[in-house]
Amino acid sequence: MTLAEAILLTVITASTPLLLAAIGELVVERSGVLNLGVEGMMVMGAATGVATAIVTGSSLLGVIAAILAGMALAALFAGLTLGLAANQVAAGLSLTIFGLGLSGVIGAPFVGVQRAGVGKIEVPLLADIPVLGPILFRQDPFVYASFALVFAVAWFLNRSRAGLILRACGENPVSAHALGYPVLRIRLYAVLFGGGCAGLGGAYLSLVHTPFWTSGMTAGRGWIALAIVVFASWLPWRAAAGAYLFGGLTILQLHAQGAGVRVPSQLLAALPYLLTVVALVAIMAVRGRGAGGPQALGQTFVPDR
Amino acid sequence: MTLSRRTMLKGAGALAGAAALPRAALAADPLNVGFVLIGPVGDFGWSTMHDRGRQRMLDVLGDKVEATQVEAVAPPDFDRVATSLVRAGCRLIFTTSFSYFQPTVRMAEATPDVFFESATGTATRDNLAIYNARFYEGRYVQGVIAAKKSKTKQIGYVASFPVPEVIHAINTVMRGAWSVDPEMRIRVVWANAWFNPGVEADAARALIDQGCDVLCQHTDSPAPLQLAEERGVFGFGQASDMTRFAPNSHLTSSVNNWGDYYAERAQAVIDGTWAPTDTWGGLDSGMFSLAPFTNMDPETASHAEAVVAALKDGSLHPFDGPIVNQAGETVIGEGERLTDDQIRAMDFFYEGIDVAMP
Repeated sequence: MTLAEAILLTVITASTPLLLAAIGELVVERSGVLNLGVEGMMVMGAATGVATAIVTGSSLLGVIAAILAGMALAALFAGLTLGLAANQVAAGLSLTIFGLGLSGVIGAPFVGVQRAGVGKIEVPLLADIPVLGPILFRQDPFVYASFALVFAVAWFLNRSRAGLILRACGENPVSAHALGYPVLRIRLYAVLFGGGCAGLGGAYLSLVHTPFWTSGMTAGRGWIALAIVVFASWLPWRAAAGAYLFGGLTILQLHAQGAGVRVPSQLLAALPYLLTVVALVAIMAVRGRGAGGPQALGQTFVPDR
Repeated sequence: MTLSRRTMLKGAGALAGAAALPRAALAADPLNVGFVLIGPVGDFGWSTMHDRGRQRMLDVLGDKVEATQVEAVAPPDFDRVATSLVRAGCRLIFTTSFSYFQPTVRMAEATPDVFFESATGTATRDNLAIYNARFYEGRYVQGVIAAKKSKTKQIGYVASFPVPEVIHAINTVMRGAWSVDPEMRIRVVWANAWFNPGVEADAARALIDQGCDVLCQHTDSPAPLQLAEERGVFGFGQASDMTRFAPNSHLTSSVNNWGDYYAERAQAVIDGTWAPTDTWGGLDSGMFSLAPFTNMDPETASHAEAVVAALKDGSLHPFDGPIVNQAGETVIGEGERLTDDQIRAMDFFYEGIDVAMP
């Protein structure tokens, strides 16, 4: 394996948690709900995932528990913002703080417990394609899930009737409601989907990336996922590009340090943030599409009966 | 009994302390010793070992002492935590991170009747002692073992911050490595954190991908060592015996042992003989030791044992001259040795270390 292949392989593992969380939040925001609690749902997924995996000995059960934990937190958020029409920004921020605290409690008995990570699965035939094969098709199941999710969400939002209705809820909930669509129920499904994706992204961190639990191990990745959604103009393919760009630059700056590049490491560490924003804003300016985001994003909607 | 302002304050302090710290001592008899930890006690590294030191002190001194410990204290919270420890009646407080050194100096000046001890630091006061272990001796041994084990002749170093402690450790690893093979090279990645498992793991991946086959780490989580295990290269543990994190990759760990020092210092306070000392214990002092050598042939292990013995009896000193810096300037010549203050303030890499100072 060449150095370039090795780097690309690492880039994918570093980007996958961001991509999983971002693609979920993208669907949530397209339905008109702004959930700032991604970090909290992610870290809950990480804690619950590794705790369940250690107790049951099954990574699969860990993943399922992580998705459910993310969804449970999302359901709490939905209860507040959709059911009680609370402010979405405030509810999302408290969800993050709540998730960080609760995950510490759940994870406390598992600090320092060792377990093997989730193994890689080779896709027959495809894995033998030169260059691309080893990078794309010798990965762990989470990576395949993230590929599938991007395809599915892109198709769902742009090509399916249900996706059109979901987008209508985000653009103009009053009209969607007048047409007879259950706006709040659709938004609930979107929020739950976002929670599940964030939980899955968290599970990736605690089951694959660094297979153990430590408090606050998401270290701000949920916030980066949120930023990626905005700078990707709420488009799935751009969100994927943003996640891989960010992950790639993070890894490259580590390699640049290892190679002895004479640039201050603090500056190198800041580069991924800077360049990802610049690149995505540049795409937005050139393509000029979708920059505004869903019209009703972040607005509470109370249907009149 | 007359209620003076003084007793009022004492009562309020004890109440506040008791509320914040359930284990605070209300009785005056046993010496209450406070501990402030930078990380969680479960970090399996630096903070875990200070916690074990506290337990050892309790075992040795029995009911003569009590301990109050606050873990995972971020430097901005230090003053609040230290003040509540003082109020709770602690007469001796160990502050266990270099990040706490300046605030500890401030606290020591503000509360002259409490003894402070700062783990790593640069100066003492009348009621402030400093203590540290000469971990660089362990780094020298790591360098020797790394040079014996490496096939690619490249050591990867996951570093935290460019502070003197880390800089002289990198220099010493290479001194040890060059004593075996002058061709050895090092690559360094700064994680800019003491504890961030995700970044530490990514840094380790980058170093391995660039051809390093032995990893040293100067960060506190077991993530780099785990990565070494996963990728089939070798690594060293930090602060505690990390063998179980990497049964096939672990070579040795520096194992910190603060307990006997803590017991000795608490006893000194009880006896009234406490003095503001500057302690820097090496392998011979028992303040740290090396975990059993694993995953190496007997020849390498006995070579490493011989180096440990030489470090202990003083026949080998890692900071003997000549020392030449990256710019090619001679820092000290043959026959000279860096002073402790020079080692503590080291801000340059040796010639032959091709690493940028961030």
